[in-house]
Amino acid sequence: MMKVKRSWLKTLAAGAAVVGLGLASCKSGDGAAGETGFRRDKTLYLAGSQWGDPNTFNPMAESWQAAWPVNDKFNLMYEPLIAYNSLDGKFEPLLGTLVSHDTQKVVVDLNPKAKWSDGQPVTSTDVKFVFEIGRRFPGAATAYAIRFVSSIETEMKEEGGERLTFVVNKADRNNPLVILDHLQAIRIVPAHVFEKLLAENNNDLSAVQKFKIDQNPVVSGPYNIHHYNNERIIVKRRDDYWGNEALYEGKMPAPEYIIHPIYKNNDHFAIALQQGRLDASQTYMPRIWLKKKDQVGTWYDKAPYFVPGAMPMLLINTTKAPLNDKNFRRAMAAAISYADIKELAVSGYASDMQPGLIMPQGLEEKFFSAGDAASFGVAHNPDLAKKILEEAGYKSVLKPDGTLDYMTDKADNKLPQLTITVPAGWSDWEAMVKIAEKGLRLAGIDVRENPVDGGLYWPALPSGNFDLIMHKPAPSVTPSLPWTRFEAVMSSRDWAPVGGDNKMNENQGRYNQPGSPEYNARVDELIGLIPRMENEADIIAAYQELNRIFMQDQPAIPLCYLPEQFYEFSTKIWKNWPTSDNPYAPPLLPWVGASTKILWNLEPAK
Amino acid sequence: MLKQYPTARFILMRAGWYFVTFLVAVTINFYLPRLGPNNPVDIIMAQAGSGTSREDMRIKEEMYLMEFGLVKMKASRDAGGRAVKEMVRDAEGKPVRASNFEQFITYLGMCLKGDLGTSFYKQSKKVTDVIKEAVPWTIALQLPTILFGWIVGNLLGALAAYRRGVFDKVFFPVALGLSSFPFFVFGMLLVAFFALTLGWFPPMGGYDNAIPGFNWPFLSSAAHHYVLPFFSIFLILAGGQAIGMRSMGIYELGTDYIKYAKWLGLRETTVLLYLFRNAMLPQITGLALSLGTMIGGALITEMIFSYPGLGMAMLDAVTKNDYPVIQGVTLIITVSVLIANFTVDILIAFLDPRVKAGVQMGKGL
Amino acid sequence: MKLLKNLLKSPMFVIGMSLFLVTILIAIFGPLFYAINTDRVGVPYDMPNAQFWLGLDNYGRDYVSLLIRGLGSSLYVGVIAGVIATTIGTLIGLYGGFKGGLADDILSVLTNLFVVIPQFVILILISTTFEKRSLALVAMIIGFTAWTWSARGVRAQAAALKSKDHISLARLNGDNTLKVLVVHILPYILSYVFMVFILQVSSGILSEAAISMIGLGPTGDNAISLGVILNDANRYGGLSDKNWHAFIPATCVISALVFALYLINTSMEGVFNPRLRK
Repeated sequence: MMKVKRSWLKTLAAGAAVVGLGLASCKSGDGAAGETGFRRDKTLYLAGSQWGDPNTFNPMAESWQAAWPVNDKFNLMYEPLIAYNSLDGKFEPLLGTLVSHDTQKVVVDLNPKAKWSDGQPVTSTDVKFVFEIGRRFPGAATAYAIRFVSSIETEMKEEGGERLTFVVNKADRNNPLVILDHLQAIRIVPAHVFEKLLAENNNDLSAVQKFKIDQNPVVSGPYNIHHYNNERIIVKRRDDYWGNEALYEGKMPAPEYIIHPIYKNNDHFAIALQQGRLDASQTYMPRIWLKKKDQVGTWYDKAPYFVPGAMPMLLINTTKAPLNDKNFRRAMAAAISYADIKELAVSGYASDMQPGLIMPQGLEEKFFSAGDAASFGVAHNPDLAKKILEEAGYKSVLKPDGTLDYMTDKADNKLPQLTITVPAGWSDWEAMVKIAEKGLRLAGIDVRENPVDGGLYWPALPSGNFDLIMHKPAPSVTPSLPWTRFEAVMSSRDWAPVGGDNKMNENQGRYNQPGSPEYNARVDELIGLIPRMENEADIIAAYQELNRIFMQDQPAIPLCYLPEQFYEFSTKIWKNWPTSDNPYAPPLLPWVGASTKILWNLEPAK
Repeated sequence: MLKQYPTARFILMRAGWYFVTFLVAVTINFYLPRLGPNNPVDIIMAQAGSGTSREDMRIKEEMYLMEFGLVKMKASRDAGGRAVKEMVRDAEGKPVRASNFEQFITYLGMCLKGDLGTSFYKQSKKVTDVIKEAVPWTIALQLPTILFGWIVGNLLGALAAYRRGVFDKVFFPVALGLSSFPFFVFGMLLVAFFALTLGWFPPMGGYDNAIPGFNWPFLSSAAHHYVLPFFSIFLILAGGQAIGMRSMGIYELGTDYIKYAKWLGLRETTVLLYLFRNAMLPQITGLALSLGTMIGGALITEMIFSYPGLGMAMLDAVTKNDYPVIQGVTLIITVSVLIANFTVDILIAFLDPRVKAGVQMGKGL
Repeated sequence: MKLLKNLLKSPMFVIGMSLFLVTILIAIFGPLFYAINTDRVGVPYDMPNAQFWLGLDNYGRDYVSLLIRGLGSSLYVGVIAGVIATTIGTLIGLYGGFKGGLADDILSVLTNLFVVIPQFVILILISTTFEKRSLALVAMIIGFTAWTWSARGVRAQAAALKSKDHISLARLNGDNTLKVLVVHILPYILSYVFMVFILQVSSGILSEAAISMIGLGPTGDNAISLGVILNDANRYGGLSDKNWHAFIPATCVISALVFALYLINTSMEGVFNPRLRK
């Protein structure tokens, strides 16, 4: 009955509007899918990795400019040497296999079967091209990565195939940990294509970066660009992908097409997923349990539903009174209700907060010390917050109606109102800040949220122009966690004062200024040492020491644990998604790191 | 000189006024987005993010400043003696920023060549291309909606004025009620009911499952997606127009010619037609203006429905301080509203006997 | 007085006015009878129940409280924007229409300029330049961009009056422009200006909702307006979880408010043009 009605409406609508839409059809359709549309049972709809208009598919372009699936660390078109499995912390082979890594070098064997889509083999020339272009051009994407590597040595193995040795650059960064990060993140591009382009353009990289590389590009991955416009990006399966044979025993990925629609409204992802218009999404959807009846699934079947991976936090400008007083910062940490944040701002998608910068679960659990957290950290405790403030000499002045007016310091000077900068429109972050503000004010701290447009948020962060600011350092789960998080919050290696042209891309709160009387050299020493440590007991001890300093000094206030990606899927069209009961891949969309193999495991639901 | 051709004179005068208006509008379009404290290069550099050394950052920053035309340039020669442009630097070696006025002059020069500049964010994408991609959708949604809404609204309004009685008693409050809905919320209600509860129409997007082009899957899918956004605007617009037309119609009904026509015993449809034609004149002006408000309003419709178009391009650009795109979109909106108004002026010049007779029209359009 | 009597005979006016008065009374006196609490009182999007008649929002706040607060804010924005737009429009329209000549030409170009650049576009551009937007600021931005069509309307009325005999007489008597405008012209078009004002208030309320809907509405602590409530419903999954109570009550309040103003306006139109009555 319903079905008849629907098709009747559809035909009617089609008749009525074809006239108007003649205008809208600008390009003529191409190829097989043009005649029949994309068959739903052969097409995978995934969303959440591309928000704006797709601009370029050039892998040499800066990552913020390139479109899905060329930006970030998506492995559909271009592939990295190895893939990182954030569930077990192991490295899985892709273009290469990780042979060994220590404080001196990282060794990777190239897969001799790896081929580009034009039939050429993937060789050490390609790998060296990608990394060393960072030395040739300071504007290249790998310019930062290559500083960690003093040289890339290649040799032919006796049994065939190439072996690559990345030698740790002792003179500069001396950090083997970050090399692993880069090996699983940097995608290899065909040197024969790009060297030629460079030669044709006077060796000008910025000229080459302007090419869109969107017409039959030479790729190594299982899919290639098929069509794109401002509403969607479509990639098509490459049936001659080398990895089908070499990595998947001759199997092909199940979906013939992957379509990434670009929605402009947050709620549309949830609606589309519930209606079976989307198969998976990585966007925040509140109250996921209400969506289960529409066959929407998550990693865990019950709370917290997702696997935590990152910590959104309040960075504190430690150069400004009263925020330069660590007692004040600890009082703030005690005033915020983390349970409310968890329940209201992120729909309960997180486990309970523990003080410190180390996550008490997953791969980081082994570094976590519950004893330290209890004795050095502060948890939510409004009375404690008030007590710390009182002991440090801060007083809250109330209005006649009993609400907070302002604060005074030890010398009875009136303190200015503090603000929490947050990008306007980021709903979950704004909600967190609102709740934090409420707790802080209840404890007598004069704080207000300050939602600003992205145009003001992003510049404020590195220049330090804020009192408190929302930020998520180390947003993705990489092999170097939690070191990356400590570095991002506490490192003074590139310390610069607040304001003007002075920018810091880590420790934006300007904690631990070198040369100042309070400077704690041990912090930078530990951040420098941990990547070079080999003995696990030493590493654990170092992390715990660093975390104790963090808890005592409280240069930032982590608010909750959030997943690296909100991984939600629908089983209406495709089934066999990885879950905690069937953990064959990490809970990420099937194009990130070790989760790409989901594509070979999906099955049609009917 | 043109005194003996009042219509031509009128049109020329109007053209002159519109040109002045256009120039001022271009200036406003240029300066308004730049009033804010934001600097696009700062935003890009901040997002370029973690793990970049200060020297790399400086090089990149200068690259962007130059690419976006935000710094002063001077002619120079490179090592090989070829003519190149290079940045003017101050004593510390920092590039000298170009003032807004200098950027404005450059912009005007480019505009004259039909070049609206390059987007700050959509790598190497010409603003004209951004507009070209968005405009067909906006026109496809807005034009039929406005025209149908206008025609249907006016017909019903004229009918209500003519019939009065029960029809009017029911019709009038309904039309008034419809026009007092904020149309974007009306869109949400339509989605809630027809897309989510009944599942008759898709809740979002411009099409599904197809590649845009002249092929059946696309056209049928696009048509199916068209229905809800169309009605979200159509009903409210028709309601508003009907109310205006009803008032105009009642005025006209009292005039002698209608009384005369009725007395002559002309058929009802014929009288209605007369009524419609004469009451329509002021409504035509309204049509041109609703074009302007609708394109602005389209922005929210597009957001509610994730529908492609100019509004979305504009909102995207505003949140990112993509000045060239903001300028380009506002310019194209302004120009189209100007053209619509001008067309209406000409229409009126030919339709309105007073203009033909050389009576000067009210200057307010 | 006679005017008022006539108006009171119009059922449309009575309905519109009562509806409007009710909304005003709720906005002003509601807080006296209903304990307004805009803090969290329960779980997000709790359904309407005996304690919370309209349920709770995504932060677990009571919708009745929010709507009373929001109604107040929206009225505030509407009235301030209406006053600004009507005042500027009337002044420019009166002066241009009455003076004619070059002054009129210049004012007409100025007016037309803002007519052809869609108001909403300017509204967006100006709103983005302000980092923090209080209710008053939002009202002012709306008011300063909405005056154009009232200027046009008033100008046409003033221009028509200019040639009337008693005006010419006053001018012959040597009264200065200001006096003629205030004493002889303004009273005649006062009712028209009032109607313009009513429409400006309603469009101000709709503009606030629209600009809030794209996230450029009022910010800060007291930023609870009907537009903000609707925007929250749109942003925080009001639709996808079918939380009708998140946006239907707010929609009804806005529509009722605007509907009431339209009714008042239309009924006044009817009184001034008796043929429209019946």
